[in-house]
Amino acid sequence: MPQVMMTSKDGVRATRDDLLSMFRETATEVVEKDFHHVLESSVISELAIDSLGMLEIIGSLERRLRIQIPDESLTGLHTIQDLLDVVEKRIGAS
Amino acid sequence: MRVLPTLVDAVRALADDSARGFVFVRSDGTERLRSFHEIAAEAERRGAHLVARGLRKGDRLAMIVPDGEEFVLSFLGAIFAGVVPVPIYPQLSFKNIDGYLDTVAHIARASGAGMLLTTEATRPYIETVVGRVDTLRSLVTVDQLAGDAGRLDVHPDPEDLAFLQFTSGSTSRPKGVMVTHGNLAANSAAFMLEGLERDSAVDKGVSWLPLFHDMGLIGFVVGPLFTNLACVFLPTASFVRAPRLWLDKIHEHRGTLTYAPNFAYALVAKRLKDREVEGLDLSCLRVAGCGAEPIQARALRDFAAKLAPAGFDPRAFLPSYGMAEATLAITFVPLREGLRTDEIEVGDGTSAAPPQRGQHLRELVDCGHPFVGHEVEIIDESGARLGQRQIGQIVTRGPSVTKGYFQEPELTAQTFKPLPDDPEGAPWLHTGDLGYRVGDRLFICGRLKDIIIVRGRNYYPSDIEWSVSELPGVRRGNVVAFGVDTDGEEQLVVCCEGTGIEAAAIREATASCVSEQFGLNVHEVVVAALASLPRTSSGKPQRRKTRQMYLDGTLKRARVVQASVDVPGTLPKPEESA
Repeated sequence: MPQVMMTSKDGVRATRDDLLSMFRETATEVVEKDFHHVLESSVISELAIDSLGMLEIIGSLERRLRIQIPDESLTGLHTIQDLLDVVEKRIGAS
Repeated sequence: MRVLPTLVDAVRALADDSARGFVFVRSDGTERLRSFHEIAAEAERRGAHLVARGLRKGDRLAMIVPDGEEFVLSFLGAIFAGVVPVPIYPQLSFKNIDGYLDTVAHIARASGAGMLLTTEATRPYIETVVGRVDTLRSLVTVDQLAGDAGRLDVHPDPEDLAFLQFTSGSTSRPKGVMVTHGNLAANSAAFMLEGLERDSAVDKGVSWLPLFHDMGLIGFVVGPLFTNLACVFLPTASFVRAPRLWLDKIHEHRGTLTYAPNFAYALVAKRLKDREVEGLDLSCLRVAGCGAEPIQARALRDFAAKLAPAGFDPRAFLPSYGMAEATLAITFVPLREGLRTDEIEVGDGTSAAPPQRGQHLRELVDCGHPFVGHEVEIIDESGARLGQRQIGQIVTRGPSVTKGYFQEPELTAQTFKPLPDDPEGAPWLHTGDLGYRVGDRLFICGRLKDIIIVRGRNYYPSDIEWSVSELPGVRRGNVVAFGVDTDGEEQLVVCCEGTGIEAAAIREATASCVSEQFGLNVHEVVVAALASLPRTSSGKPQRRKTRQMYLDGTLKRARVVQASVDVPGTLPKPEESA
């Protein structure tokens, strides 16, 4: 599938693959464990990341991408794909 | 030092102040001031609504209201109506909702709540609970409390139940602590006036603490209302996502008083970049309180070092000790004293002797002394009072100590009881925490029930967990240590989460770490599957539940991973099989 390049108003550019890599790097940095194996299909509750850690990761992604994800968008996220969908939507919306 | 007798009296007394009040920072960064005048009027109005909907004095109202502003106003509305609010924590994202709904149903049932108050956004997630709890007759959203509903004519007394504080249940399933208006008044006067010497004209509180928890709710809503303190609230999730926000708000609002558990100080020290400290001026902060979980001196020292360029004064640290059963605060360190610690020998765990050369040390934080009119004692297993530097259970009594657990007479009688040397005396709250005194100062060692006794020596699981969590491949907060009975002898078991690939290495490293640092043989190191250890609402692993799962054989162990084709080239090679 061709990659769609998202560009935010602040000029942050990212493809879907970039976002997944960014998640992997951020999770690895925040949790201090190797998360480079994470896939879009990975189930969030099965990763060894507690809720606080997950929020830290999201906060870090928000800063890197200069976006803000509303709290309500975070409810009901099941897989990394769900999370990246929300992130992508915010990049498009910003 | 006195305050008005009930929270309703206290809020009504502030109703003339339209300039000061509570500022609520929203997750989008906007702020809204709710003046004390508005807060009093809104509490009056929401209270009348609850009465119009059929709630009567003493009825329980379960509340799942994630938004801070809506929570505070609705909580006070219930209090004004004489209705007993039962705050319940909102669902943590990313978790299986079934376990959460079970807890909500348990709390609603145990409190006999007749109504569940929530928000439109939360409603779809929790609606199904109503059908599961017999007493719950209706679900109402805060939006439905809009408009005029007539006058309130309810006047709570100091002896009346103000609200039920369900404890987070790191030890067992949540139970509802009965907090009266008198308890709230006594504790608010103790920590706000005596402990913090708050000055209404100058002071400002800043808090991101969750409002369904005693430290956030009593520390920054109830206490400030009793003592006329303006405060700024930010959402807990916003703080965790961007820890700097906490400091930004202290800087912007010239906050003077803040409070947080140990982990928050550690988080800031770890996450904040030095360049982010530039431009911050925290010289206004005169109290940075610490409580609600064991205090690690290192976390506070790291925080102070990181924030020194921002003018943070380490004497602002105010370690303290408390629990919901005592309303909130039990002991406080005096103002401007800062962090002080005591080094003790890791001996047999019954006394806290100053160290001799070459021995294993344990550094414990001075948590201060009890408030005027309150007592603290240390007792042994038979209930006899212990002397200086002897480790035993911490007990306390005084006007802040609550009446016990709602509709749990047996548990209440076990926890709130007189001491054997004065069987007719007023009951003491048996905290279940172990500690010792030096002079009038209290030091906390750990939880009584979690203590591991191997061949007559006491080991504190938190010490072992801290050491193991420093090992590579193990993350802090993912380790649980407990004792099990094997052939009549207690033995140590350590569980940590890890991957199957790392399992063998983790097991080996854990065993040698425990042996080196504690001189103890580990009976078994269990590497549990990632995210499989049971946790509390605040994300801490539950020791006793983990132990039970270990004994039942229901702990999910990490399995050795087979190389999988859908992981392109990033999978580390299995070093050795388990």
